[in-house]
Amino acid sequence: MAVDTAPAPALVDDRAPARHVKAGAAYAVLGLLLVLAAVAWLGGRTTTIAFDRTLTDASWEAPTFGVVLGLGVLCAAAGAWMLVGLPQRRFKPASAVAVTAFALALLFWAYSQEGTVFRAESILAGALFLSMPYIFGALSGVVCERSGVINIGIEAQFLMGAFTGVLTANITGNIYAGMAAAMVAGSLSTMLLALLATKYQVNQVVVGVILNLLALGFTSFMYDQLKKADGFNDAFSVPVISWGPLADIPVLGPVLFQQKLFVYVGLLLVFVIWFLLYRTRWGLRTRAVGEHPAAADSMGVNVNRLRYWNVTAAGLIAGFGGAWFTLGNSLAFNKNMTAGLGFVALAVMIVGRWNPLGVLAGALIFGFTTQIARDLSAAGSGVPGEFLQMLPYAVTLVVVAGLIGKAKAPAADGVPYNPGDK
Amino acid sequence: MRLELKGLTKRFGSFTADDDIDLVVEPGQIHAILGENGAGKSTLMNMLYGILQPTSGEILIDGEPVSFSGPGDAIAAGIGMVHQHFKLVGPFSVADNVQLGREHTRGAGVLSARAARQAVLDVSEQYGLRLDPDAICEDLPVGVQQRVEIVKALSGPETQLLILDEPTAVLTPAEIAELLQIMRNLAEAGTSILFISHKLKEVQAVADRVTVIRRGKVVAQLEPTASESEMASAMVGRAVSLRVDKTPAEPGEPRLEVKDLTVVSDAGVKVLDGLELTVRSGEIVGLAGVEGNGQTELARAILGLVKPDSGSIAVDGRDVHGRGPAKRIADGLGYIPEDRGRDGLVSEFSVAENLVLNQYRDEPFAKGGVVDAGAVRRRAVDSIAEFDIRTQSPEESASALSGGNQQKVIIAREFSRPRRFLVAAQPTRGVDVGASQFIHSRLVAERDTGTGILLISSELDEIYALADRIAVIYNGRIVGEVDPDTPREVIGRLMVGGSADAGPGPATDPDHPANDEHANGGDR
Ligand SMILES: Nc1ncnc2c1ncn2[C@@H]1O[C@H](COP(=O)(O)OP(=O)(O)O)[C@@H](O)[C@H]1O
Ligand SMILES: [Mg+2]
Repeated sequence: MAVDTAPAPALVDDRAPARHVKAGAAYAVLGLLLVLAAVAWLGGRTTTIAFDRTLTDASWEAPTFGVVLGLGVLCAAAGAWMLVGLPQRRFKPASAVAVTAFALALLFWAYSQEGTVFRAESILAGALFLSMPYIFGALSGVVCERSGVINIGIEAQFLMGAFTGVLTANITGNIYAGMAAAMVAGSLSTMLLALLATKYQVNQVVVGVILNLLALGFTSFMYDQLKKADGFNDAFSVPVISWGPLADIPVLGPVLFQQKLFVYVGLLLVFVIWFLLYRTRWGLRTRAVGEHPAAADSMGVNVNRLRYWNVTAAGLIAGFGGAWFTLGNSLAFNKNMTAGLGFVALAVMIVGRWNPLGVLAGALIFGFTTQIARDLSAAGSGVPGEFLQMLPYAVTLVVVAGLIGKAKAPAADGVPYNPGDK
Repeated sequence: MRLELKGLTKRFGSFTADDDIDLVVEPGQIHAILGENGAGKSTLMNMLYGILQPTSGEILIDGEPVSFSGPGDAIAAGIGMVHQHFKLVGPFSVADNVQLGREHTRGAGVLSARAARQAVLDVSEQYGLRLDPDAICEDLPVGVQQRVEIVKALSGPETQLLILDEPTAVLTPAEIAELLQIMRNLAEAGTSILFISHKLKEVQAVADRVTVIRRGKVVAQLEPTASESEMASAMVGRAVSLRVDKTPAEPGEPRLEVKDLTVVSDAGVKVLDGLELTVRSGEIVGLAGVEGNGQTELARAILGLVKPDSGSIAVDGRDVHGRGPAKRIADGLGYIPEDRGRDGLVSEFSVAENLVLNQYRDEPFAKGGVVDAGAVRRRAVDSIAEFDIRTQSPEESASALSGGNQQKVIIAREFSRPRRFLVAAQPTRGVDVGASQFIHSRLVAERDTGTGILLISSELDEIYALADRIAVIYNGRIVGEVDPDTPREVIGRLMVGGSADAGPGPATDPDHPANDEHANGGDR
C-alpha cells in the first residue's frame, strides 16, 4: 500500500506456523514410507509407459525401484525443509513439489505390476473427457454462489439435461437440438430455484434438495414410460473432432486435438466465465451481490434481479453438463445415471475456491484419478476395486489439506436479501 | 441543491419511526441532525436515499417533488450517502468499491481498471482524501474504510447533497478533525451536507444549522452556537448533566493482574508484547491509546477468546490459565465487547434472549436444563424499564434495535448479575449523550460497589470522565501510567509512542501508528 504505510512490524521468526509443522511432518513421513516401500517390495520391478495412439511402437521402461526411491526422498526432503523453517512464500511451491512427488510415486508403483502399461495418451485424453461433468457442474455452481445463491441442485440439472437431451435428439433426429434442449431443461430447473430464492426467500438448501428429488423422480418415471415405445431413448453419438495434422502430435494431439465438442465447450467456458467474473461490469456486480448485497444495493444494483438471471443462466451450463452423460458418452438415458456426480461437482467448486481456474484444476485432478482408477481395475491390478473408487476422493483430501487450505465462500452465499436490511 | 422534506413519515407495522418530518437544507449548508439512538435519523436518511419508501410525505429537490424507487435514483439525482453501517465489499479493492454500480468500461461491459484507479485518485486529490486505489478494503483500518465510503459518496455524477450518518463514530480524533475540514471544503464548494453525530462538539464545530429529532418528531431547530447541554436536553427532552459525579476511588486488593502478556497474531505480528497491568477493586483504570495497538487482543485475552503466547492473567487473585470464557464469566468476569455486532449479541435472537445470554443455564432462567420462558421474559421487562431500552417488545429481534439500544442490552445483561471484575471496551461507541451519561454513571456506581473496572476507550473525553488511573497502550505495551489530571498533550504524546516529558514522538504519522494497519489486518 502506497498510502498509510508504516514500517512493517517484525515477524516472529523463531517458530514456524503450526500449518508448516503439520504439513512438513506429514510429507516427511509419507516420503519415508515411500522409501521403505521401495526397498521392501519394488526391487527389480519396471514401470512401462507407452504412447499408445501416436507412436504406437515406442514405449519406455523405467526402473520402479529407483524412481519411487527418488520421489520418496524428494517428498521427504520438502517436508523436512518445512520443519526446519522455510520462508512463508515458499510454502505453496514446496507443498506442490511434495504432493506431486508422492502422487507420481504411487502412479509408478501402481503401474509396476506384471502386465500393466501406462498408456499415457489414452489415459490423459480420457482424464480430460472425464473431468467435463465436474467442470460444467462446478462452473454452474460458481455462477450461482458468486451471486449469493446456493445451488445444491446441480444433480437435478444434470439429470434433466441428460434425459431431455437424449429425448430431444431422438425426436428431432438432431444431436445439437438435443444439446440445446438439455440446456433449456437445466435452466428451467434453476429458474425455479431462482424464483423461490429471491422472490419468496425460501431456504435455498431445502429447495435444492427438493429439486434433486423431483428431478430423480421425474426422469425415472419418464424413463419407465418411454421404455414401452421405441425410438425415444436410443443412444446418439457425438462425433470426435479431429484437428488434422495437429491430432498427430504426440501426447498433445490425442489429448487436445481429438476430442468431442463437450471438451472444447468446457475448456472455453472456464476461461470465458473467468473473464466475465473478473473483468466485466457484470462480474463485478455479481461478486458484489454475493459478497455484500446491501453494499451493491446502496450503489443502485438491483440485487434480486441480478441473482435471478444469474441463477437461471447457470442452469444452462449445468444442463449442458447433463447432456454429457448421455450424448457425450453415446449412451441412452438410465435411471439415476448421474450417480451423485452433481455433488462431486459442488466439491470441485469448493476445492476450486469459487474460481473458474481453480475449478479447472480441481476437475482435472478428479478426472485424472477417476481415469486411473478405471484403467487399473480394467488392467486387473492387485488393488481392490473399492479402494480404486475411493482414489479420487482420497487424492482430493490430500490436495485440499496440503495445497489449498481454508476455502472461503462468498460472504452472502445462501443469504436472502431484503432491501432495507442493515 | 436545495432539499426540502414535507411531512415525511415512515411506519414499520404499527410503529412510527419518523412522524411528519419537515426539514429544509439550503445549498452549501451543513445541516446537523441530532437525536437519541432510535430517534429515527437513519430511517429518515434511508428514505432520502431511496433505500426505504416513505409511508407518506414528500421529498422536493430544488422545488421539484421526486420519488426514488431505489438508491440508483437517488444517486442519479445527485445524492451521495455514507452509511452508519459500512457498505464496502471486503475482498474488493478500493477502486472496485468506488466504481461499483457506475463502472468504468471500455465498451461492451469490459472494465477499465486504469480508469477506475484514476477516478479514485482524482477524487482523493480534489478533496485531500488520501487513498490507495489498489488496497483491499477489508485489510484497511476503519478510519481509512470510512475515507473510502466518503470517496464513494463523492464519486457519483455531480454529488450535490452528501448524507453522513454517524461518520465519526469509529474515527480517531485526528481523523475526525480531517473529516470536519473536508466537510467545510465541500460546503464551501456548494455541496449541501446532512450530518448525523452524537458528538456535540463536532456539531458545534461544523454545522450551520441543527435539527433535533426525538421519537420520530422534529422537536427543535437550534443554532450551532447553542451549548452542549442545550442540545443534549433538546434531544432527551429533559435536563441532562454532562458531568459524571464521582468520589475519589478507594482501591483495594488486585482484581486483574496481567504479567508479561504476549500475543502473536495469525499473521505472525506481536500484537501484545510483554504487557503488564494491574487493576484493583473499587477503581476504574482507563486504557488510552490509538485503536489497533493491542486493546482488542487484551480484552479478548482477558475473557479467554485469545490464547496468550506467554505471560499470565489473574482475575480476582486466580490464574485463569486453562479456564474457558464460560468458566471465567461464572467466576465473576464481566465483558462489554467493543464490537457488539460480532461479540455482544446474537442478532437473530430476541432482546429477552440476548439479555440472559450469559445466565440462561442458571437459576432462575433454567430449571433442570429447560429454559423458563416466563422468568426470561420477566427479567427482560425489568431490564427494559431500568435501562430504558427502546424496543417494541422483549420478543423483537436484537437486529431491529438501533445501535445505542443494542449497547444498552449488553450493558443491562452485564450489570444484572454479581461480578468481581469488568472489562468495558468502547462502552459508549455510537451511543447518544443521554444513554452515554447513563452508562457512565452505572460504571461509577459499579466501581463504588467494589468491582474493578478496565475501561478501554479511544475517546479521551470518556477516559478523563471516568478513570481513576490512566494507562497508555502503544504497540502492545503499556508505555505509561498517569493520573487523570495529566494534561491531554502528555497522554497524546504517549499514545503515539513518545515519552511523557520529552518533545514530539518518533517519526510516525500520529493518526496512523506503526502497528495500526497490521494489527487490524491480522485480527480478521
Ligand atoms: N426495518 C425495520 N423494521 C422495524 N423497525 C425498524 C426498522 N429499521 C428501524 N426500525 C426502528 O425504527 C427506529 C428508528 O431507527 P433508526 O432510524 O435506525 O434510529 P437512529 O436515530 O438511531 O438512526 C428504531 O426504534 C428501530 O428499532
Ligand atoms: Mg442510526
